[in-house]
Amino acid sequence: MDFKHILSSLRRSPTGAILVALQIALALAITVNSLYIVVQRYELINRDPGLDLANTFVIGWTPAGEKFNGEVTMREDLAILRGLPGVVAATTINAVPLSGGGSSTAVYTEPNEKGQRGQFNYFEVDEYGVEALGVRIAQGRDLDPSAVRKFPRNSSEAPPEMLVTRELAKELFPDEPALGKTVYSVLSQPIRIVGIIDRMHGSWPSWEKVGNVALTPVIADEQYARYLVRAAPGQRDALMKQTEEALGKVDNGRVVLKTRALDYVAASTYADDRAMAVYLLVVIVLLIGIAALGIFGLAAFNVSTRTKQIGTRRAVGARRLDILRYFLAENWLITTVGVVVGCVLALVLGYWLSTTFELPRLKLYYLVGGALGLWLVSLAAALRPARRASLVSPAVATRTV
Amino acid sequence: MYAYDFRLAWHSIRRNPGLSALMVLAIALGIAVCAVTFTVYHAMATNPIPQKSAVLHAVTLDTWDPDEPYDEETPEHPPQLMTYRDATYLYGSRAAPRSLIMYKSGGLVLPERQGVKPFTAELRVTTHEFFPMFDVPFQYGQGWDAAADAGPHPVVVLSDETNEKVFGGENSVGRTIRIGAREYRVAGVLRPYAPSPRFFDLNNGAFEDPEDAYVPFGWGRALELPVYGNTNCWKSESLNSYQDFLNSECVWLQTWVELPTAADRDRYQAFLDNYARSQKAAGRMERPLNNRLYDVQQWLDRNEVVQKDNRVLIGIALLFLGVCLVNVVGLLLAKFLNAAPLTGLRRALGASRRDIVRQHMMEVLLLGLAGGALGLLLAVGGLAGIRSFYDSDWNRDAYERLTAIDPIVVVVTLALSLVAGAVAGLYPSWRIGRTAPAVYLKTQ
Repeated sequence: MDFKHILSSLRRSPTGAILVALQIALALAITVNSLYIVVQRYELINRDPGLDLANTFVIGWTPAGEKFNGEVTMREDLAILRGLPGVVAATTINAVPLSGGGSSTAVYTEPNEKGQRGQFNYFEVDEYGVEALGVRIAQGRDLDPSAVRKFPRNSSEAPPEMLVTRELAKELFPDEPALGKTVYSVLSQPIRIVGIIDRMHGSWPSWEKVGNVALTPVIADEQYARYLVRAAPGQRDALMKQTEEALGKVDNGRVVLKTRALDYVAASTYADDRAMAVYLLVVIVLLIGIAALGIFGLAAFNVSTRTKQIGTRRAVGARRLDILRYFLAENWLITTVGVVVGCVLALVLGYWLSTTFELPRLKLYYLVGGALGLWLVSLAAALRPARRASLVSPAVATRTV
Repeated sequence: MYAYDFRLAWHSIRRNPGLSALMVLAIALGIAVCAVTFTVYHAMATNPIPQKSAVLHAVTLDTWDPDEPYDEETPEHPPQLMTYRDATYLYGSRAAPRSLIMYKSGGLVLPERQGVKPFTAELRVTTHEFFPMFDVPFQYGQGWDAAADAGPHPVVVLSDETNEKVFGGENSVGRTIRIGAREYRVAGVLRPYAPSPRFFDLNNGAFEDPEDAYVPFGWGRALELPVYGNTNCWKSESLNSYQDFLNSECVWLQTWVELPTAADRDRYQAFLDNYARSQKAAGRMERPLNNRLYDVQQWLDRNEVVQKDNRVLIGIALLFLGVCLVNVVGLLLAKFLNAAPLTGLRRALGASRRDIVRQHMMEVLLLGLAGGALGLLLAVGGLAGIRSFYDSDWNRDAYERLTAIDPIVVVVTLALSLVAGAVAGLYPSWRIGRTAPAVYLKTQ
């Protein structure tokens, strides 16, 4: 219908339209790529770690004095912890899951570093480890209490058995069940896989093999020892206080450190990702807001400078609807050009991000969604000025100023 | 003349307060996003020891697994850390004018002062060169000497914070403090010292505080002080004692040398390669010869101290500013053309084109400055917002430093807002300057 008119009017003063289209294009490129990063971070943060984050906390201590019998103290502490009301389970552990600190090693499916190799993050726990961590054994059995040992410091001894996550089991034995198989340490010590854990995240959330985890029946060395305590639902916070007090009362020279809730540990490990996601979200919202205001401002200006024109058109027979349609069509045209250019820019920006920063390539449906979204925003921003245009009275045309 | 321009600009701004506010807001938001991003980036990208950056070198040897590189993603780099036997050999060789070896440990401090609870102190177990090599400032006393390293003598240097906590901030030189299994005599107390990034040890958080206390290197072995940093091992070795650990291929020590001239550097590089060749002959270090010296800036780059995210954000922030500017250009154009009849009148009364352009540029610069100032205010809020994500005991200090208001960034930002205003205003002002007075006077 009006496209010929619109085009000829745009050709006479193209600058404003170009600026709007450019704004839409840039906004689309940034929004789509930022949103893609936000969603990735959100998914990363909200992965299921397989742990009972909400009810679990950690408490550690530092030995003081020359000699310290770590094992005796730890067994005593655990007896105290397990006696506290509201404790579901407690274990010693050598590192804190999701904390960024931990230990890794590798095993092989055959002795002498032969066969399939599997690298993983291991946690030394006692027979209550599975329950304290809140992980689920999918196949096989829990660790045998009689297998739990404490090795001398700096020893290379290996435990006789361990539990592995499904992910690690699959890496070691891609084609057959791992349960009951024997794997070998780098020193060729045999370790039997007695159980498969459904899923569990280890210490390093940014590691691509964060799900490669094993639980070994070992009392951790007291230099690095922590206790991991799982509370009954709703009792964690109260129990954290009681735990500090109960262990602090034991007067044997060591110093009990502050308790830390596991979800607090996880939150600070993911702080970078969360900050990035929120920051980008703010940028996206501001960007869309700015772009919408810009479109609105220009449309309003266009209407106000063309009041006389509009009046004239109305006077020679154009209906209100025609005026409304004219301005919306004009906006639609400009927006469409902006969106098309924006799609190209978004792909270029996405390509640059993926090659320079090794981010995953932009998914196309983000582009489609972003384009649709901006289209609607742009249309909505132009709606009011267009309506105002349609309300211009034909009488305006007869006035001189 | 400029005063008159200023008055005209002010009039014009007040004539459309909504539109003017919108433009100031657009500039402010663009500037705020840039300022926040720049602040964190600038703090991360700072060289914390510029005066010695080219002289200090981190030393690395490729002692890693013959079958695979230390880091698959950057196979050209040897491990950042060194084995005990290599580090102690290099240190003992005295091949560099000055060198040091060290690692991070920790122990319990049992203060004697009333009301001070025992706490875990992070320790840097280091040879005595640490203080002079890194220009570490002392508040009281001094470091120790070579004899104290070898002895080892029970001396300790405390951080300002530890001295505050344990001795209430007094001059504690000569007093004793119990750390872990031993008592040490305080040899010195540092001034507040927190190079950011903590270039000399980038392994566990590049922006965290340095250690609470420093003890002579010999204590590491004598007391078997635990390694709080990273210990990375590749070789299948049976380790049954601390001595086995010291002899192992596990890497866990940092080695730094001071090489004042290029000739020193070449000489030391040759020495390193010779040493590696002798070790190869003895059946160790089977990887291709790859021993590297990194000066401080190269070391910061090698360890990717500036995070990828922050570089992405710089790009996004600049694009965001771009959108804001395009927005302002559009609004300015609309506004100036709207006031064109007035401009036509001024032209008809004798104002030159240059006068018109100048008057409009003045208006734009004012808007730019206002936007910059508001943008800085918003940026302060934004930085506080970022800080709120880092509230745990171990990353709070680091992010307080990274999000601190940075005078350089303030100046750059204000300049940027002026430039942005000028860029945005140039075309609209030029365009309005070309207005033919007759066109607008006709309809009046």
